[in-house]
Amino acid sequence: MATVVPVDEFVTEEWYPGFRPALDHAGWAVEPFRTFDKADEERFWFLDFHWPRGLTPMGLIWNEDGYSWGTQLAAEALPLPPGRGITQRIAGTHTYAAAIDVTDEWEIGERARRMMQNLPRFLESFEGIWAERRHEVESWWTHLRSVDLRSLELAELGGYLRKARQFHKRAFEIHFEVMYPLLANYVGFYGACTEMGIDPGEIAKFLQGYDTKIMETDRALWGLTRKARNAGLGEVFAAHDATGMRAALSARGGAAAGWLTEFDDFLQVYGYRTEGSCDIALPSWIEDPTPALGMVKTFLLKESDHDFEAARANAVEERETAIDAARSSLSREEQEVFDAGLASCQAANFPWWQDDHNYYIDLRVSLPMRWATQQIADVVGADASDDTIFLFWPELLQVVDGERNFAEFKGIINDRKQYFDHWYERRANMPKVLGTIPEAVTDPILIEIFGLNSHFLKAVQAAGNDGDVKTLSGVAAARGSARGIARVLTNADELHRVQPGEILVCESTSPNWTPAFAKIAACVCDGGGTLSHAAIVGREYGVPTVTAVGLATVVISDGDEVEVDGTNGTVTVFKHAGHPDEVVPA
Amino acid sequence: MNLVLDLAELAPDTATSVGGAKIGRLVEMGAAGTVVPGGFVLGVEAYRAHFRASGLDERIGGIVGPLSGRSSDDELTAASEEIVAAIRQVALTAELCDAIAERYAALCERGRDVALPVAVRSSATGEDGAQSSFAGIFETYLGISGAAEVIDAVRDCWASLFGPRALCYRLERGISHHDMPMAVGVLELVPAKASGVAFSVHPVSGKGDRIVVEGSWGWGEAVVQGLVTPDRAEVGKSDLRPLRYTVATKKVISDYDPSRRRVAEREMPAELQDARVLDDEELRAIADTVRRIEQHYGHAVDVEWVLSSDRTPGGPVHVVQSRPVTVGGTAAAPSSWDPASFALRYAFQGSR
Repeated sequence: MATVVPVDEFVTEEWYPGFRPALDHAGWAVEPFRTFDKADEERFWFLDFHWPRGLTPMGLIWNEDGYSWGTQLAAEALPLPPGRGITQRIAGTHTYAAAIDVTDEWEIGERARRMMQNLPRFLESFEGIWAERRHEVESWWTHLRSVDLRSLELAELGGYLRKARQFHKRAFEIHFEVMYPLLANYVGFYGACTEMGIDPGEIAKFLQGYDTKIMETDRALWGLTRKARNAGLGEVFAAHDATGMRAALSARGGAAAGWLTEFDDFLQVYGYRTEGSCDIALPSWIEDPTPALGMVKTFLLKESDHDFEAARANAVEERETAIDAARSSLSREEQEVFDAGLASCQAANFPWWQDDHNYYIDLRVSLPMRWATQQIADVVGADASDDTIFLFWPELLQVVDGERNFAEFKGIINDRKQYFDHWYERRANMPKVLGTIPEAVTDPILIEIFGLNSHFLKAVQAAGNDGDVKTLSGVAAARGSARGIARVLTNADELHRVQPGEILVCESTSPNWTPAFAKIAACVCDGGGTLSHAAIVGREYGVPTVTAVGLATVVISDGDEVEVDGTNGTVTVFKHAGHPDEVVPA
Repeated sequence: MNLVLDLAELAPDTATSVGGAKIGRLVEMGAAGTVVPGGFVLGVEAYRAHFRASGLDERIGGIVGPLSGRSSDDELTAASEEIVAAIRQVALTAELCDAIAERYAALCERGRDVALPVAVRSSATGEDGAQSSFAGIFETYLGISGAAEVIDAVRDCWASLFGPRALCYRLERGISHHDMPMAVGVLELVPAKASGVAFSVHPVSGKGDRIVVEGSWGWGEAVVQGLVTPDRAEVGKSDLRPLRYTVATKKVISDYDPSRRRVAEREMPAELQDARVLDDEELRAIADTVRRIEQHYGHAVDVEWVLSSDRTPGGPVHVVQSRPVTVGGTAAAPSSWDPASFALRYAFQGSR
């Protein structure tokens, strides 16, 4: 019998106080973003790991532009034979997502026929397509960055805000237009490899060792770390919190001031990125360099530099060795298939793109909207610069268009901030999944990126049945094993709690978690697959990593001793003496 | 009529009707250039003559008659024991014994050994068919020496035609024992350094781009009967390149036991248990031999091979048996890279 997690507690008309969405308040291709109803219990929903803090009203825009527009449009265009993209439901400030399944057999066949024509065309011209799309994104970005918002009237800020939203929406059209076919090709190649008897643990290696924008950033940060060490700034970093670091360095003057100048140069190049993906509530490093300074502080704790050149050379060598070893076990006929598939996946390299695109899209495309909302807050005399992100898009448009006075919203903004905090508290106890747990999901993004694969589904099924899970299994994402104390984090703000040699346990990581990999002994994620951020970085840094564990953040308590086997994809939990064996609700 | 024939006297196109399935195929393969052991065969006519003249046919008919596919194991076992006892009670005619002794003496002379060890192999008509392989049901005796022992082994082979499993197998398929008279081959015993089986396609997946080789030290009985986990290798069929090799821990060896004057199973010497059996040259030679046999027959085969202890690199691989392979699957190896069809198969199924 299928495991069903009731949706009842979220079946409500409730949104943030004082707002009810009109059906057309945002664009959608197949199915709009809305609240739960009882019938949703027949579908399978999972708590989206991208925003562990919850989303502000303006932050919910991502659900509209990313899911309801980006994924659905792309899934219709390729098309995905059995799916029409991803939809979501709101639960307070958090979102649950689900696949939109195509159920009619004929329609699936017809969509498959179209996919068979479109996919090869896309892959053949991927390099050109991605160059063109990147150019488009860069061109929008340069344009939006060039505007001096402080010189704009409220109405003009409205115009800028609309353009920034247009960019945001377009960026996610591009994001999923590229992601679905690249991923489908990768998963197809993965399947071909397993069919030919290649060890699945080897396959991701075939595509590693190509440089990305994110790796470039990490290298630059390590360069700054080296300079700080050489300039004798280690003790300044050791003595101060990341938040007070800039002031401390300024006060020190001399070499410290010189270092800050270099740091600011670094920010001009790499600082337009947020801590976490796609959330207007998040500042860039330019706005708040604390995370970047914190990383340097963390890096300095390590005895030696991370040798990127050696790691890179190592990754390349490991790639070539893995390819040679795999090829040698294939018959000549199979080698032809393998070589062609590998060439296709190297030319349209999903794991590479998965890291690279974060720089161009996920980590920065919400920034122009953020600048606009902050400037609007300033112009309308808001109490705080983030007041405006507690308005919904239509409300903010009314303000910039002069239809409503911002002062009318002051009370409601307060209520909404409390509402946000209330749901932030609830997050840790929210069910990871809702509705009917299926045997399998069919959307490749949900399977590979969100990790809704058979491991995950079995884990949540097992937990739904008896709640007693001691050895967890997931996807073997980066090989090796390690044992240590678990640090269960809900978001990257808490990374400072992780001590060298400890084991990071989280729902998922994104590029802002990368620096932690220089000190952790192992990583465990609820979601993800062999291609999620943690998997890629885990391999890059040689940190044993298991993803798609399903309920790691629920089953493992902070301070537990855990053993992570990244080669076989298992996590063994040894409850710490101080912890009673509580039964945790799924 | 000549009831006992030298393999060299058999013509490939009539060898099966004279010498049964296994001997027939050995003759065919030998004529096609495969190295097979020499020897002689008591043809199916020898069997027919013996069973007819001795009255065994009638007695067996009386015992088998009441049986059916619904007979219990106990009934089958009892019937089998009765038939086997009857067969053992009837001596071969002096004429037949003399013919066997004469042929055996000739083999000894050729092998320059007064008591040359030989393999005595059942070769029933119709065994190894595409529908009914009778795999492992009929007896083979390795290392028999001396004319009297050979004659006993011949009678034991005949008796294996009526073992409980053989009775059961035929009853289930509605086959009469009259339709599968049994010839018996008496063949030079190849001194085996290593032996095993090989398949010209992957026996489980059906992939036709590779040859699968299983082998262990000594003679092949322990492998054939599943008493030992053999080393396992795959070799590319088109280029004879070894693809994979798994060394198994081999606990049992079929080895010549001088005291019993038989090849018999014993514990594998410790130093050989985890030793790799086949090097790349040997693998290539075995695969090449199997590939030629498949080409000759035009269908997939499995082969029982022996590497002679005096074989040197470049030397021949002996084949002691071959038959049409019974394959589990028919999965062809992927023939070309087609991203859309692989995506269709793997990306949208949630199968991972």
